[in-house]
Amino acid sequence: MADAVIGTLILLALWQGLAFALQDRFLIAGPAQVLGWSIANAGLIGRALVVTGSNAALGFLAGNLAAIGLAALALVVPRLIPMISGLALVVFCLPMVATGPILRVMMGPGNGPQIVLAALAVYYTTLIPLLAGLRAAPASWLDLIHVYGRGRWAELRHIRLRAALPYLAAGLQIAAPAAFLGAMVGEFTGAERGMGVLTIRFTRALDIPAIWSLAAIAALVAIAAYALIGGIARRILHEPPPVILAPPPGGPTQRGWMQALAVLIAVLALWWAGMRLAGLSPFFAKRPSDVLAALAWAPDAAQTRGTLATALAQTARHVLPGYCAGLALGAGLAVLLGLVPRLSAVLTPLAVALRSIPIVTTAPLIVLLAGRGAAGTVLLVAVMVFFPTFVACQHGLRQAPGRILDVFDSYAASRLRKLIHVGIPAMLPALFAAARISVPAAVLAVTVVEWLATGGGIGGLMSLSASVSDYDMLWSAVVLVTLMSWLGHAVISAAERRVLATHAPEQVRP
Amino acid sequence: MAAEAGIACAGLHKAFGEVEAVRDFSAHFASAQTTALVGPSGCGKSTLLRLIAGLDMPDRGTVAIDGQPPERLRERGAISVAFQDPSLLPWLTAARNVALARKLARQPADPALVARLLQMVGLGQFAQSRPATLSGGMRQRAAIARALVTGPGVLLLDEPFGAVDELTRRQLAQDLPPLWHEMGATTLLVTHSVSEAVLLSDRVLVLSPRPAQIVADIDVPLPHPRSPALPDTPAFHRIEAQIRAALSHALDAA
Repeated sequence: MADAVIGTLILLALWQGLAFALQDRFLIAGPAQVLGWSIANAGLIGRALVVTGSNAALGFLAGNLAAIGLAALALVVPRLIPMISGLALVVFCLPMVATGPILRVMMGPGNGPQIVLAALAVYYTTLIPLLAGLRAAPASWLDLIHVYGRGRWAELRHIRLRAALPYLAAGLQIAAPAAFLGAMVGEFTGAERGMGVLTIRFTRALDIPAIWSLAAIAALVAIAAYALIGGIARRILHEPPPVILAPPPGGPTQRGWMQALAVLIAVLALWWAGMRLAGLSPFFAKRPSDVLAALAWAPDAAQTRGTLATALAQTARHVLPGYCAGLALGAGLAVLLGLVPRLSAVLTPLAVALRSIPIVTTAPLIVLLAGRGAAGTVLLVAVMVFFPTFVACQHGLRQAPGRILDVFDSYAASRLRKLIHVGIPAMLPALFAAARISVPAAVLAVTVVEWLATGGGIGGLMSLSASVSDYDMLWSAVVLVTLMSWLGHAVISAAERRVLATHAPEQVRP
Repeated sequence: MAAEAGIACAGLHKAFGEVEAVRDFSAHFASAQTTALVGPSGCGKSTLLRLIAGLDMPDRGTVAIDGQPPERLRERGAISVAFQDPSLLPWLTAARNVALARKLARQPADPALVARLLQMVGLGQFAQSRPATLSGGMRQRAAIARALVTGPGVLLLDEPFGAVDELTRRQLAQDLPPLWHEMGATTLLVTHSVSEAVLLSDRVLVLSPRPAQIVADIDVPLPHPRSPALPDTPAFHRIEAQIRAALSHALDAA
C-alpha cells in the first residue's frame, strides 16, 4: 500500500514537473490545473459521469450476464466450447469504431449503442477467464468427487463453481474499465450527453485543461472500479484475483481447422439470419453476400479493394511497430525491474492501475503530445500494449519455481543468472498470453486514434464511410479488420503453443 | 452361488497410448484384510489402485468388489481413496475438507467424528486451518482423515505417508490400522517402503517393473495390533528380507 502511494506521488510529481517545464507549449495541464478545472466544472462533469456511468453499468451487467450464460452453456455441453470461444473471439475482434456508427444507425438516438458497446467490450474479458476457471480444477479434486460415485452436478457444486470464482473476479475487474470505454466509444457516435461527448467537444476546441481533466477523471473512475471489484473479491475469496493467463485455443490440427471453418460458417449464418430476422434495411444493414459483392464483383469492386488495401497498409505501418514496441518495452521493463525488486514494488501497483485506463481517454492526450502523424499513433498503440504486457510479465517472473531458484541460490548465483535461466523462461507463457490478447487491443487503439485524431488508415476510412453513408465500404472494412485481428491472434496462438509445449506443457495438454 | 467377498481382479490390462501400465493382473484381496502393493517407481501401482476404485476403466479384464462392479459401491460411498497428492480443496478448512467426504458419500454430518479423526492424525489444533497454511505432511494426514471419515468398506491408500516425517509415520502406522480394522475395511496400500508394507499389512504383493505383474505374494503373519518395537524383531526382518529379495529378482529380470 505504501509502495502504491509512493508510486502515485512520484507520478504526480513527474506530471506536474513536465507541465511546468512545457508550460510555454500549451500541451500539458498539470495536476493542479486539472484539479482547478475539475472543481470549477464539477456540475458538468458530474452530469456526464452519471450518464456514462449508468450506460457502462447497464452494459457491464448485460455483457457479464451473457458471458456467464455462455460459460454455463459451455459447461453443460462441453463440445460447444470451441464454437463458443471462436464466436466470442470474432465478436471481440469487431472494431468498435465501426460497430458504433452501425449500431447508431440501427438503434437510432438514445443510449442503445453505448450500452451495447459497453456489453461487447466486457463479455469477452469475462467469458475467457470464466471458461478457463471452470476447467481449472485439477483432476485429483474431481477424482475425489468420482470416488464417492457423484456426478457432474456435484463436481459443479463442490468444486468447479468455487474454483472459477477467482477467475470470474479477475474477469470482472478487467471488465469494469472496459465497460466505461465501450460506453464512451458509443457516445462518440452521436450521443447527446456523457464523458465521450465532452471529450470530443473539448478535443475539437483544443481546450487543454479540459482534455487533461476528462482523461484524468475517466482514468480515476476506471482505476476506482478496478480497485473496488478487486477489494470485494479479496474480501470474499481471501486472496487477490489471479492475473489470467488463459491457454491458447486448439492447435493447427485437422480438427482445429474444421473448428475454425465451423466458426466461420456460424458467423456468416448468424450475421445473415440476424439481419433478416431483425428486418433491417439492406441499405445500411449489409449481409455477407453484399460484402462479398462489394469486394469481388460489384462494378467498383477493384476501387473498393484498392481503397481498403491502401488504408490497411497505412494502418499496418502504425500498428505493427507500436505493437512490437509495446511488447518489447513491457517485457523489457519487467525483466529489468526483476533485477531491482524495490523499484518493482513501487512501480507495479501503478502499472496495474494504469492498465485499467480506457484508451480513448488518453488518445487525445497522446496525439497532443506526439502530434497527429505516425509518432502519435505508434505511441498510442505501444502504450495500449505496454501495460498489460508489463503486468503479465511481472506476474510471469513471479511464477519462477522457488525450488529451482533455491538450487541457483545454493550456488550463490547472481540475480542476472537467475533471471536468464529461471525467470525469463518462466515469464514466456505470460508474455505470449499478453501478446495474444493485445492483438485486438492494438487494433482498437489504432482505429480509435485514426478515427478521433489523424483521419488516416482504416479507422479514418471507416469514420469517413460512416459519415457519407458508404455502408458497403464500412462493412467491408469491418470484415477485413476483424479478419486481420483474428489472423493475428491465430498466428500468436500458434507461436505460443510451440513455446508452451516446452515451457508450460500443462497449459497445452488436451 | 454367493458373491465372492473382497476384491477380485481378473485379467486386468491397461495401457496409456504406447505405454503398457498393467498387464494381465489377477488377484483376490480378502475382505477386511490389508494388502500392500510394493514395486519400483512407475511400475503401475497407482494405476492398479485407480482401476480398482473404478476411476479408470481397464482396457481388458474386470474388477468386482463383493461381487459388484466398483461403480455400484462408489455410488453407496463405500470406497475411499487417499491419493498420493492430498487434493485438499484450498478454500475449505482442514475440518471442512474432512467433512466434505461425508457430504459426498450422502452420510449425515458428524463433527465429533471429524474432530476425533483430526485429533488422531495429529491435526486437532489445525482443524480450522486452510491447506495453504499446513505443511505437506499435515495435508497428507488431513487427506487420510478424509478417507477414513466415511467408514468405508474399501480403503485405497496411495503412498499415504510419502510426505510424513519418520516419527509421525511410526505413530500413524500404530494408530490407523486398528481404526480400519474396526471398520472392517478391505485395505489396499501402495508404498515404496518395504518396512511400511510389513508393518501395516497382512499380505504383500511384490510387483514387477512396468507393466505391473505379480512376482511374489508374501504373507505377513504378525499379530495385530503391531507394537512400535515390531520392526526390531527377527520375524519382521525375515519378511522384509523376503520382500527385498523378490524386488531385486524382479528388477534383475526386467
